[in-house]
Amino acid sequence: MSEHVVASYRPLAAVLVSALAVVLIIASHRRPNIREGWSVLAALTKFAIVASMAPGVLDGMEYRWSLGEFVFGIEFAFRADALGLLFAMLASFLWIFTAFYATGYMRGLDEHAQTRFFASFAASLSTAMGIAFAENLVVMFVFYELLSVVTYPLVAHDETEEARTAGRKYLAYTFFGGGFLVLGGSALVYWAAGTVQFGETAEGLRLLAETDPAIAQAIFAFLALGFGTKAAIMPLHSWLPDAMVAPTPVSGLLHAVAVVKSGAFGVARLLLDVYEPDLTVEIGMHLPLAALAAFTFLTASFIALRKDNLKRRLAYSTISQLSYIIMGIALLTPYGIVGGLLHIPAHAFMKLTLFFCAGAIHVETHTDDISDMAGIGKRMPLTMTAFTIAAAGMAGIPLVAGFVSKFYMLIGAVSMEAQLAGIIFAGSLILSGVLNIAYFWPVVYTAFFESEDEHDAKPLVDFPMGGTRESYGEEVAADGGEPGDEDESPHATDDDHHGDHEHDHHHHGPPPGGWERHKPWTESTWLMLMPIAVIVTGAVVLGVVPGMTGFLDLAIQISEAVLGTELGGVIG
Amino acid sequence: MIDPLPLQVGIELLTHRYAYLLFALLLAIGLYIIIASSNLVKMIIGLNLFQTAIFLFFISTAYVTGGATPVIPKEAKAYDPFVSPLPQVIVLTAIVVGIALTAVALALIVRIYSAYGTLEEDTIREVRADE
Amino acid sequence: MSDPLVAAKLIPALLIVVPILAATLPLALGLRWERVGWYVTAIALAVEAALAGLLAYAIYGQGRRVVHVLGGKQFGRKDVMINGTPTEDFIVGIELVGDALSGLVVLVVAGVALAVLAYMRRAGPRGNAFYSGYLLLTGGLMGVAVTGDMFNLFVFLEITGLATYALVAADRSTDAAIAALKYLVIGTAGASMYLVGVGYLFVRTGTLNMVDLSRSLAGDPSWIDGALYADPLVAAAFGFVAAGLLTKAAIFPLHTWQPDAYAEAPDSVTVYISALVSTVAAYAFGRVALFVFTPDFFAANPALINGVLALAGASVVAGSALAATQRRIKRMFAYSSVAQFGLVVIAFAVAVHPASGDGAVRFGIYGAVFHLVAHAVIKGGLFATAGAIAAGDGSRRLSSYAGLARRRPFLSGAIAVLGLAIVGVPPTAGFVGKWYIAVAAVESGLWPVVGVVFASTVLTLLYVARILEKVYFDHRPDAVPDHGDASGEPTAGDATGGAVAADGGAPATRRVSLGMAAFVATAVVIAAVLGFGGAEIASALDPVVDAVQESAPAIEGVKTDAIWEVANNE
Repeated sequence: MSEHVVASYRPLAAVLVSALAVVLIIASHRRPNIREGWSVLAALTKFAIVASMAPGVLDGMEYRWSLGEFVFGIEFAFRADALGLLFAMLASFLWIFTAFYATGYMRGLDEHAQTRFFASFAASLSTAMGIAFAENLVVMFVFYELLSVVTYPLVAHDETEEARTAGRKYLAYTFFGGGFLVLGGSALVYWAAGTVQFGETAEGLRLLAETDPAIAQAIFAFLALGFGTKAAIMPLHSWLPDAMVAPTPVSGLLHAVAVVKSGAFGVARLLLDVYEPDLTVEIGMHLPLAALAAFTFLTASFIALRKDNLKRRLAYSTISQLSYIIMGIALLTPYGIVGGLLHIPAHAFMKLTLFFCAGAIHVETHTDDISDMAGIGKRMPLTMTAFTIAAAGMAGIPLVAGFVSKFYMLIGAVSMEAQLAGIIFAGSLILSGVLNIAYFWPVVYTAFFESEDEHDAKPLVDFPMGGTRESYGEEVAADGGEPGDEDESPHATDDDHHGDHEHDHHHHGPPPGGWERHKPWTESTWLMLMPIAVIVTGAVVLGVVPGMTGFLDLAIQISEAVLGTELGGVIG
Repeated sequence: MIDPLPLQVGIELLTHRYAYLLFALLLAIGLYIIIASSNLVKMIIGLNLFQTAIFLFFISTAYVTGGATPVIPKEAKAYDPFVSPLPQVIVLTAIVVGIALTAVALALIVRIYSAYGTLEEDTIREVRADE
Repeated sequence: MSDPLVAAKLIPALLIVVPILAATLPLALGLRWERVGWYVTAIALAVEAALAGLLAYAIYGQGRRVVHVLGGKQFGRKDVMINGTPTEDFIVGIELVGDALSGLVVLVVAGVALAVLAYMRRAGPRGNAFYSGYLLLTGGLMGVAVTGDMFNLFVFLEITGLATYALVAADRSTDAAIAALKYLVIGTAGASMYLVGVGYLFVRTGTLNMVDLSRSLAGDPSWIDGALYADPLVAAAFGFVAAGLLTKAAIFPLHTWQPDAYAEAPDSVTVYISALVSTVAAYAFGRVALFVFTPDFFAANPALINGVLALAGASVVAGSALAATQRRIKRMFAYSSVAQFGLVVIAFAVAVHPASGDGAVRFGIYGAVFHLVAHAVIKGGLFATAGAIAAGDGSRRLSSYAGLARRRPFLSGAIAVLGLAIVGVPPTAGFVGKWYIAVAAVESGLWPVVGVVFASTVLTLLYVARILEKVYFDHRPDAVPDHGDASGEPTAGDATGGAVAADGGAPATRRVSLGMAAFVATAVVIAAVLGFGGAEIASALDPVVDAVQESAPAIEGVKTDAIWEVANNE
C-alpha cells in the first residue's frame, strides 16, 4: 500500500536480536548477572532497531527484507509497515522494563529454571517481532506457531500439576487456533487468492465472495477465530485465566502484551490487509465480529467482579480489554480503527502496570487474593498508587491512556452507518467502563481505606448489597467459597498457591501485627519499582499527550491508508 | 427358467478357465489357514499355499493352445505359436523369493520354539501375558 | 572426457548391485577376520552415497532422466518372425529409472543408510551376518526406488521385506522374533496381494514395464481397442496392488504388524526401518498411482481412489489416537508413523484424484514427496533419540521420561525439536509438507480430506505434548532413571524395556556414543533446515508434476513394446 519500499536488514535484525540473546542466555547459564545482562542488552538493541524505523515509516516508507522463496510461490519476507511497527515498537519498548522487572521478580522469589525462563522470554519477543513484521499470512503463521511453542515453557514454568494442566490447556487452545484455524484459513486464502501477501489477497477473495459468499465468510471466520484464540475472544478464552499460573512477568508482558496482542494484531491484519474493509463489509462479517467482541468484554467484566485472586481478576480484565481492540477495529469506521489500534499500546501500558503491581505485592508479601489486601496501601504506597492510576485508565477516566482510545472508539461507534448497531456498541462500551470501575475500585478501596482487622468480605458481589463486615481471618475465605466451583473459590486458590511455592512462606496476607508502614521506594527493590514507575508514567503520557508518542500518528496513518479518508485536524 | 447367459459363463468358466477357479480356491484356502490356524508352522504352510496359487495363476496365463517352448534355435525361421516365456521367468523368481521367505520364517519359528517350547500361538500369547 | 552419459546410465544398476554384492563380503571375509563387517559396510555405503550423489547431480543438476535397462540387449533376427513381426531390434530388459521422483528417494536412502551405520557403530547390533542383512536391505530399498518394472518391484519389495524380517529379530530376543514373524506373515500376504494385482495387469496388457503398462491401459498399442480403464480386471488389479503396497506402508487397518516390529526391533534397526522401509513402500504406491494407473484411470474409477482416501484419512485419525494412548515411547512413535503415512497417501491420492485441478496435482505431489522425505528424517531422528536415551539411562517408557530435561538436556532438546517438527510447527520440515498437503486438499475441494489434514496438527499434538510435558515439566521423584522402570506402570509385554532397564540400569554401563549423538544432531539440523528448502525441493519435482499433468509419461529411452501377446488374444 505504501509508495516506498526500501530493502533493509532492520526488520530481520529486530527479529534476530533476541533469538541471538536466547543463545547467549543459555550459554551463560552459570552466571546470572551476565545472563540477565544479555536480556537487557537485547531489549535495548531491539527497541533501538525498531525505533530507528519509526521516522521512515511515519513518512510512508516500508522496510523489507526477504530470504527468497520459502515454500512454492510464497516468500519468506519481513516488511515493516505502519501496523507492524506499532506492535513491534510497543512490544520492544515494554520488554526493556520487563527485563528489569523479571530479574527482580525471579530473584525475589528465588525461582528455579531461570535460564529456561529468560531464554523462552527472549524467544517469545523474537517471535512477536516476526509476527509484527511478517509480510504474508504464511510467514505470520510461522511465527504465530513458534510463539505458542516458546511461551509454553513459561506457562508451565512452575512444574506443578496446576501449571502442567494450564500448559496443556494453553497448547490445546493455541494449537487449535493456530495449527488448525489459522493454517486452514491461510491455505484457503491461498487457494482463493493465489497469494497470501498482505494487501494483495482481497482481489481474489472478492471474486470468491461474488460466486460463493458462504465460503468467503467461512474463511474469514476461520482466521478471525484462529487469531481470536490468542486474543482470548469468547468462547476461546479460558486458557488465559489458567495461564496466570505463570510467573507474573509472563502474565504481564506476554499475557497482557505480546501474546494476546499478537492475536489482536492478527485480527487487525485480517480486517485491514487480508480482507480489507470494503470486502469485510460486503460479506457482512464485521458486525458479527464486533458483536462477539462486545459480548466478550461485557461477560468477562461480569466474571471479573467475582474473582478474588488478583491475577485472575486482571486476566478477565485483559480478556475484556482485548475485545475492545477487536471491536474498535471491527467497526471499520475511521475513528473506530484509530481507537482500536490506539488501545493496543494504551491497554499494554496500563495492564502491564497492573500486573507489575500484582507481582510486586506477591514478591514482597506473598499475597495474591484481594481479600487479604486490606490496608496494603501503607505497606506498598507507590505500587498501589500506580495501580490506582492504571485502574482509572482502564475504566476510561480522562488523562490516562485508556480514555483517549475509548473516546475514539465511542466516536467510531456512533459514526457507523448502521446507527442502531453503533448505538448499541457505544452503550456497551460505556456499560463496560462502569463495570471496570466496579471491579477495580474494590481493590483500591481495600488497599487504602480498609484496615487489616476490619474490612468487607470479598468478592463483594458474592455478598448482600453493601457488603458484609468481616474481620480478617481464615473464615472469610471459607465463607467466600462458591459452592460447586472450587476452582474459583478464594480458599482453593490459596491452597494452590501454597502448593506452588512451598519455599515461599507459611502465611499470606498481613503479618500478625498488621502491615509495616513503608515509604515509597523502600517497599521493594528498584528492579521492580523502576519499571512500575516508568510504565505508569507512560500510561499517563499516552493519556495526556497522545500525539507525542508516535502511536497515535501510526494509528491514524494506518486508518487513513486502509480507508482512504482523511481524518482531518480533529486529532492532536 | 434359467437365464442362459450366466449359465453359459459358468460352463465356460468350468470347462475352459478351470485353472482360474483352482487359483481362487487355493488362494482362499491359503488365506484361511493363515488366519485361522494357531500353529505357527501351519501358518507358514498356508502362506506357501497362498503363494503357490499365485504361481499357478501366472503359469496358466502363459498357456497357448498348441504352443511350443519359447526357445528359438539358430536355424529357425518362424515359431508360431509358442507359449509366453515371461510368466515362467516370473514364477521361477517368485519361487526363489518364496523359499527364502519360508527359510526366514522357519528360522524365526525355531527360535520361538526354543524359547517357549510350543508352536501354538495361543499358548505363546498366554505365556507372554503371564510374564 | 569420456561421455558422462554412458557412465551415468550405469548408476541405477550400480546402486543396487554394489550393496547386494557387498552383502556377501561380511560373511565371506568374516571367516578370516572377525570384525570386518562394519568396515565393509561403511565402504560399500560410502560408494553408494557417492553414486547417489552423482545420480542426483545428473537428474537435478543436468535435468536428465537416467535410464538403465538391466540385461538390456538387442535380441532377435530379421528372419525370425513372431506373430508375423520381425524380432530385430527387439530389446528385452528391466528398466531402472533415475528420474526427479526416484532421485530424491535414492538420496534419502543412501544418506540414512550411512548415517544409521554411524549410529549403530556402538549401539549395535553387531556381527557380520547382521551387516550382510543391512546391506541387503539397502540394496532392496534402492531397487524399489529405481525400478521401472512392476514385477521387479515385487522382487525388491520382497528383498526389502526379507532383510527387514531378519533385522527386526537381530538381537535374539524372543519378543522380537514373534514381532518379526507377525511382520513376515502380514508382509508376505501383502506382497502376494501385490503380485496378484501385477498378474491381472499382465494378463490384460501383456507387459510389466511401468511405462508400457500405462500406455497399454490408455489404449495406446494397436492391438488394444481403446482405454482399459473401465475394465473390471484392471480395477481389481489396482485394488490388489494398492492393498499390497498400503500394507507395506502400514496404512490403517493394515498397520497391525508395524507397532510390534518397530517396538521390538533393536534400536538401530528401528531407526533404519522407520525412516526407510515404509517410506519406499509409500513411494512405490505413489509411483504406481501416478505413472502406471495415471489420473485418467481414477477418473474412470473414482470409487477406488475415494476408498484409498478414506483409508488414509482413517489412518491419520486412528494412528494419532492410538499413539496418544501408548505408554512406551517406541510404540508411540510407531503409531505416529501410521498417521504420518496416512498424510502422505492422502497427498498422493489427491494428486491423482479426478476432482483435482492442476494446482491440486502440483501441491499433492510436492506435499507427498516432501513429507515422505521430512518424515524419514524426523522419525528416524526421533527413534534415534529414543534409542540414545534408552542407551543412556534405560528409559523406554513415557513415565520414566519425567525430568529427562535435567538428566539429558541435549537429547531432550532433540526430542522437543523433532517432536514439534512432526507436529508441523513451522519453520521445520514437518510444516512445509503439511502446508503443501493442506493446499492440495483445499484446491481439490475434497472437504472431508481438508478437515482431516487441518486437524492432523492438533491430533499429532496429542501425543507430542504428552512427551514434552513429561520431559520438561514433571519431576516426580519416583521417576528417577535408576529405579525408573521398576516404578512405572506395570504392563504386560514390556520384556524388552524392563530387561534393558534392569540389567542396563546403571547409566554408566552403556553410554550415548559419539555416532548416536551425531546422528541425532544431524537429524535435528536437517529437520530444521529442510523447512527452508520447500521451494527448492518443489522446483526439483517440477518434471514429475509436468509428466503427470501432461498425463503422457514424458519418457525417452527404451521402449519394450509388448510383443508377446499372451492370453488376451486367445
